[in-house]
Amino acid sequence: MILRDAVVAAALAAAVAFPSAAQDAAQGAALAEARGCGSCHGAKGIAEQPPMPSLAGQPAEFVTLQMILFRERLRDAPPMPDLAQGLEDGQIEDLAAHFAALPPGPPPDRGEADAGRAGEGAALSQRMNCGVCHLPTYAGRAQIPRVAGQREEYLVHALTQYREGTRRGSDTNMNAVMYGVTDAQIAALAHYLAQR
Amino acid sequence: MFRLSATIGLAAVLALPPLALAQQAPPAAPSWQQGRPDSMAASPLAPHAPRMTVTAPDRLPTSALRVPEGFKVEVWAHGAPGARMMAEGPNGTVFVGSRTIGRVYAISEEGGQRRVRTIAQQLNQPNGVAVRDGNLYVTAINRVLRYDGIEGKLENPGEPADLTAAFNLPTEEHHGWKFTAFSPEGRLFMNIGVPCNICEFDRDRFAMIVSFRPDGSDRRVEAKGVRNSVGFDWHPTTRELWATNNGRDWAGNEMPHDTLLRIRRAGEDFGFPFCVGDWNDPAASERRQCSEFAQPAASLGPHTAPLGARFYTGSMFPETYRNHLFVARRGSWNREQLSGYDVAVARIGADGNVTGIEPFLTGFRDEANNRFLGRPVDVLQRRDGSLLVSDEQNGAIYRISRQ
Ligand code: HEC
Ligand code: HEC
Repeated sequence: MILRDAVVAAALAAAVAFPSAAQDAAQGAALAEARGCGSCHGAKGIAEQPPMPSLAGQPAEFVTLQMILFRERLRDAPPMPDLAQGLEDGQIEDLAAHFAALPPGPPPDRGEADAGRAGEGAALSQRMNCGVCHLPTYAGRAQIPRVAGQREEYLVHALTQYREGTRRGSDTNMNAVMYGVTDAQIAALAHYLAQR
Repeated sequence: MFRLSATIGLAAVLALPPLALAQQAPPAAPSWQQGRPDSMAASPLAPHAPRMTVTAPDRLPTSALRVPEGFKVEVWAHGAPGARMMAEGPNGTVFVGSRTIGRVYAISEEGGQRRVRTIAQQLNQPNGVAVRDGNLYVTAINRVLRYDGIEGKLENPGEPADLTAAFNLPTEEHHGWKFTAFSPEGRLFMNIGVPCNICEFDRDRFAMIVSFRPDGSDRRVEAKGVRNSVGFDWHPTTRELWATNNGRDWAGNEMPHDTLLRIRRAGEDFGFPFCVGDWNDPAASERRQCSEFAQPAASLGPHTAPLGARFYTGSMFPETYRNHLFVARRGSWNREQLSGYDVAVARIGADGNVTGIEPFLTGFRDEANNRFLGRPVDVLQRRDGSLLVSDEQNGAIYRISRQ
C-alpha cells in the first residue's frame, strides 16, 4: 500500500508539470460571488439540489478544463456554456483555485446508503479500475475529477453521457471506460461513489 | 466491429469480469488499456492533463531549454493554447492546429511582433493543417475544410468549402486526429490511426497513411500496418516518404519502441498489430513472421511519442544539418520514467540509412524530478532557415536560429 502510494505520488509529480500562471483563490471567491455560482453550486461549493454538481474540492485543473470546454462550447451542458462566455483564462484559473480550496463533503440531502447497491458499485469500481485514475479515495487528480461524495443523480447523468458519447471531455478515456455499461451498473456505481 | 483477439479478450475479461458475463456482447476493454496485462492492472499511469489556458511568457520554460553550441532558442509566439501541427502560407503566416481546444490559429508577423488570431473554433480535434496554392486545408477527425485565399482574409475567414463528403474519412475519434501535408506532387497525405490501443481492426481502413487529390478523390494507400503516424515528410533528394510512428501502450516501460519509417514503395506494410521491427507483439491475435513486414529505419525510443518530423533544407544552419530530419518527441505517459520531451535529429547517410539519432532541443524534461516542462509536437522550417517548434502544453512556439 505504502509502495503504491509512492508510485501514485510519482505519477502525480509527472503530471503536475510546470504550474501555469499564479492562480488566486481569493480573487476566484470574489468572482464566484459576483457571478452567482453559489446560487446553483451551493454557497460553499456543495450543491443542495439537482441537477447541480458539487464543486468543492475538485482538482483545479479539472475545473479549469471544464470551464474552457464550456466557454469554447465544446461541452454542451446548459446553462454553463452561456455562463462561461467572456471569462478570461486567468479568471477561470482563479475560479478553479477557489473551488479546489473549498473542503469537499456530501450534500445535505444525501439519503441512507443501500448496502446491497453500494456493495455492487464497489465491486464494479474495483474491477473497472475507477480508482486507478480517480485515485483509491476517488478524490481525483489533475484533469481527473473528484467523484467521492458527488450528488448521486449527477453521477448517473455524467456516466450516462459518457456512455452515450454526448460528453467527451478533455480526452476520450471516460467514453472508453463506459462502453457497454448497463443502466443498472451505472446506478450502482453512482450510489457507491455518492456514499463515499 | 472491432473484434478482440483471444489474448486481448482475456485481458478484457480479467479487467471487467462482471460486465463480460452479464452481457451478450462483451464490451471492448477501454481503448486506453486494451492490451494491458493483468500485472499492470493497478498501474497508476494515466495520460497527462492537457492545458488549455494561456501560459504567460514569463512562465514558459524558455530558460531551461538547451540547443547545441552556436544556436539560440527564443519564444517566437505564445498565447495559442494547445498549439500542435504547423503549416506556413505563401506570405509567411503560420497556421497551427490543435486537439482538445478545437481551434486553428493563424500567426503573422506585424511590426516585428507576432499576432495570434483564432481563425476557426469549435472543431473536433482540428490537428491537421496544410496549405496549397494559398488555400488552407483543416482536417478535424473526418471533417475536411478548405479556406480559399486564407492569408487575404485572416480577420474574417468566412465559411470554408466543406470537403468532408468527398474525403469520406472514418469517424472514429480515438487516434482519429490527422497529420496532413501536401506531397511534392501535390497530393494530400494523412494518417488514419488505429481506433484503439491494440485490437483487431480492418487493416484496409485503419493503421495507414493514405493520400488523396486535393478535392478528396482518388484515395491511395501509401503505407499499411502503421499504428499512428502524426508526422512525416519527403526526403529532399530521394523523395521517399519518412514517417514517425507511435507504438502501443501497456507493454512495459521498455517495449515497444516508437519508430521512424522510411517508405520506399507505396503500400508497404509495417506490421501493426503483429510486429514492431522484429518484436512479435504478444497481444496480437496471431503470430506472424516479422520478416514478412517492412522494417523501421530507426528506433526513436520506447513511448517517446515522436510526432512532427521535417527535413532541413535551409541555409541558415550549418551544412551538416542539410537533408537530415528533425523529429519532435512529445514525451511519454505510459512509462514510469519519462522519456522523450525533446527535438532530435535523425542523421541519414548517403545510402539512405539512419546513422544516428541525436538530441537537438532538450530541457523540457526535468529528469531529477521525473516531470516535464513542455511538450514539443511539431517542427517547421521557415523560409529564412530558422526552425519553429510548437509546445502544446504551453501554447507557445519557439524559434531556433544561429547565434
Ligand atoms: C443557473 C445555475 C448555475 C449557475 C449560476 C452556475 N452553474 Fe455551473 N453548472 C450548472 C449545472 C446544471 C451544471 C451541470 C450541467 C450538466 O452536466 O449537464 C453545472 C456544471 C458546472 C461545472 C462542471 C462540473 C463537473 O463536475 O463536471 C463547473 C466546473 C461549473 N458548473 C462551474 C460554475 C462556475 C464557476 C459558475 C459561476 C461562474 C457556475 N458554474 C454557475 C448550473 C449552474
Ligand atoms: C483512464 C482513466 C480513468 C478511468 C479508468 C476512469 N476515469 Fe472517470 N474520468 C477520467 C477523466 C480524465 C475524466 C474527466 C473527463 C472530462 O473531461 O469530461 C473523468 C470523469 C469522470 C466523471 C465525471 C465527473 C464530473 O464531475 O463531471 C465520473 C462520474 C467518472 N469519471 C466516474 C468514473 C467511474 C465510475 C469509473 C470506473 C467505472 C471511472 N471514472 C474510470 C478518467 C478515468
